[in-house]
Amino acid sequence: MSVDSAAANPAADPTPPAAPPQPAARRSLATMAVRLAERWALLILLGVVVVFFGVWSRTSSVFLSVDDFRLIGSSQAVLAVLALGTIVPLICGQFDFSVGSVAGLSSVLTAAAFSHGHWPLAAGLLVGVAVGAFVGLVNGFVVTRFGVNSFIATLGSASVITGIVNWYTQGLSIVQDIPTALTDFGSGQWLGVPRTVYLLVVVALVVYYLLDHTPFGRFLHSVGSNAEAARLVGLRVPRIVFGSFVCSGTLAGIAGVLLLAQSGAGNPQVGSSLTLTAFSAAFLGATTVRPGRFNVLGTLVAIFFIAVSITGLTYAGASDFIHDLFTGGALIFAVTISAQLGRRRAGVR
Amino acid sequence: MGRVLTVDTGGGAEDGGDAVLRVRHLSKTFGGTRALADVDLDVERGEIHALLGGNGSGKSTLIKVLAGVYAGDRGEVATGGRTARADAWTPQDAFAAGLRFVHQNPGVFLDLSVAENMAIGHGFPTAAGGRIRWRDLHARTRELLQRFNIAAVPEMPLGALGPAARTMVAIARALQDSEGAHGGVLVLDEPTAALPAPEVDLLLDALRGYARAGQTILFVTHRIDEVLDIATRVTVLRDGRRVGTLPRAEISESRLVELIVGRPLEHIYPDAAPTASADTVLDMRGVAGGLARGVDLQVRRGEITGLAGLIGSGTSETLRTVFGLVPRSAGTVLLDGRPLADFDPAAAMSAGVAYVPADRGAEAIFVAMSVRENLSAAGVHRYWRGLRLRHREEQRDAHASLRDFLIRAASDTAPISTLSGGNQQKVILARWLRRRPRLLLLDEPTQGVDVGARAELWSLVRRAAAEGTAVLVVSSDFDELARVCDRVAVLRQGRVVAELRPPLLDGKRLTELAYSVEVLSA
Repeated sequence: MSVDSAAANPAADPTPPAAPPQPAARRSLATMAVRLAERWALLILLGVVVVFFGVWSRTSSVFLSVDDFRLIGSSQAVLAVLALGTIVPLICGQFDFSVGSVAGLSSVLTAAAFSHGHWPLAAGLLVGVAVGAFVGLVNGFVVTRFGVNSFIATLGSASVITGIVNWYTQGLSIVQDIPTALTDFGSGQWLGVPRTVYLLVVVALVVYYLLDHTPFGRFLHSVGSNAEAARLVGLRVPRIVFGSFVCSGTLAGIAGVLLLAQSGAGNPQVGSSLTLTAFSAAFLGATTVRPGRFNVLGTLVAIFFIAVSITGLTYAGASDFIHDLFTGGALIFAVTISAQLGRRRAGVR
Repeated sequence: MGRVLTVDTGGGAEDGGDAVLRVRHLSKTFGGTRALADVDLDVERGEIHALLGGNGSGKSTLIKVLAGVYAGDRGEVATGGRTARADAWTPQDAFAAGLRFVHQNPGVFLDLSVAENMAIGHGFPTAAGGRIRWRDLHARTRELLQRFNIAAVPEMPLGALGPAARTMVAIARALQDSEGAHGGVLVLDEPTAALPAPEVDLLLDALRGYARAGQTILFVTHRIDEVLDIATRVTVLRDGRRVGTLPRAEISESRLVELIVGRPLEHIYPDAAPTASADTVLDMRGVAGGLARGVDLQVRRGEITGLAGLIGSGTSETLRTVFGLVPRSAGTVLLDGRPLADFDPAAAMSAGVAYVPADRGAEAIFVAMSVRENLSAAGVHRYWRGLRLRHREEQRDAHASLRDFLIRAASDTAPISTLSGGNQQKVILARWLRRRPRLLLLDEPTQGVDVGARAELWSLVRRAAAEGTAVLVVSSDFDELARVCDRVAVLRQGRVVAELRPPLLDGKRLTELAYSVEVLSA
């Protein structure tokens, strides 16, 4: 989808007016350079941030040791998987605000399967992923069958899930009998790289494959760009939208299992707070690598940009408030940029 | 072009008279195109003055100049003793002069109550603190409803009224501050174009009533039967010129058709009813759906068949019914002798039907996507082999399409929005012709396409026909249809009323047939 319409108007998805005739794009060196800078702006900015905190006297002594990188890598894996989950519906013009809550639900139910049910490892992991897929199924059904705006439907389901989690756990973390194989995966390293990062890479490759190398991915983009035109080339639009929610739910389920592996506990308090950061990363990611489109690599760059910036600011003395401040600011900034990019792509000046 | 046919028996339109609105020597050009040339118009007090003309005759432009939306290039507008230059005429001037406009889409809110609709754009009566005085508003609305003879109560939602009554509410809203004032003019721009027949009668009755009460009405239309029905005088425009003004006594169907078309009416002998033959690809029998009310039509292999008709005659719906976008309420559609599934575009596609919609921006273009992706949109599965999309093969095909379909683009990865309208349309055409369809449906394929690209588009369509595709085209440009088609069927009120082929096929005949009230074929 064109990012700006998702941002500006989640309810309807107005088709931008037909582009005015333009002369064929001229490719001068200058415009090529601008394009290139635009594509990699966020990565460059990430480098600038790293250098800045590395040089600045208040943070240079502590900022970004190898351990910091490891910590950021492992701690952001959950968020990154979640952000990749959000972009699947976003591409076809839909919002899934339930991803954070679903991750919370998945981690709690997986923990419960081990702790109360004493299920074997594989079965417990399957529970987490299946729970996510099931919520995606319900979200998709409500949106496509009853025509409920996805913004509202998933905001509602997020709240319902948070309620169920708190009711089930009585607000207490589930810590007993979490298999060590799982927690080892969450905290250990292979070749000096956190093991969770390997999983993240696998998930990212799968999502990239899905979006760029399957017809389904192409259909998602088509529906997001112009749902009516998609219908008129024979696409079953509701089925595609439905599929996008199953994808985001499943990915949120995986993120939940990862969360459990990392923290060693099914914590009912974590979860819903992750949603907004995931969206910030998704929108910020859409300004880079392939400006104007939600994309996997851009999303990953955005995740690490946000994490590095917040870590640096924390070292500089900012306390917890900085997280909300920065995440929200990044979201607004990203959506503004995306709106400009989208408008330019649509030929509107 | 033969002799120019102009008449003026308008009577009493000399200076002075009782004209409440007088337009003199009005001209307007857009770029190099002349929309209005030296047009005069007199609207007299208390009359229903119809402004009649075909597509592109300049009637909409004239109304927009009167409303102050467009500035005229030359000419004058005189109202109530005051004369203004047309290039300085503003919406405020129009309002002050008592001109009130109700457009084809009357700008009403179906979810709001009738009273709220009356108040919007006019102001809610308020008390201290900005509170709305609902009782006053409802009382005033009740008066208006009575005055304009609308069967409604102020509290009911507007959506509960019929389409004609909604337009009447819009009229009442426009006229509410002119308490029975007879100085102004109510200007209605094609108010009936989107209304079903019984609703049209209701609205025309209401208009007649308002005129009897002294309201002056300028009524823009392209339907001759409406002019015959209610106009007390009619001015006809053709190609931006006023070609005649007729008083009531001289209004007749043949006269009006003559003025619209620009030459005397001839008698038409359409072909005998067509019969299905071996190379018939599309065979429609009594197909109804939307505005199509029983279409019988055959389209043959290798032929370009045109479909001509006025707005509301069911031409577009005929295409949409075949492609499965509008459900059929009656009739059968056979493709190559096999019945075509109803209301299922995907099934129509796999049966070999291709459809290029009229509204390119809203229904065909994926605006944020590349030319290549737009080209493959109707056949992505072709590249799905061995569990991955064959991007290189897709690119090769895209390059071939750019070449074969004469598409001028910087590259196949350029966003489609960077292409001109004509090149975008070629992309859409290529998208469908790549599938080698049995039947190609084209709805207004050259709309918003410049002249050069038009010729190229038609040559591409002709080539597809020569390769065996049956083509069915809808266009409101009848001259163009006559030029490019092997055969044109004329639709009126949802039915095929005539079918023309050379040498009888020309734009003027099509216009005559499309406009005529009675079926000329006997």
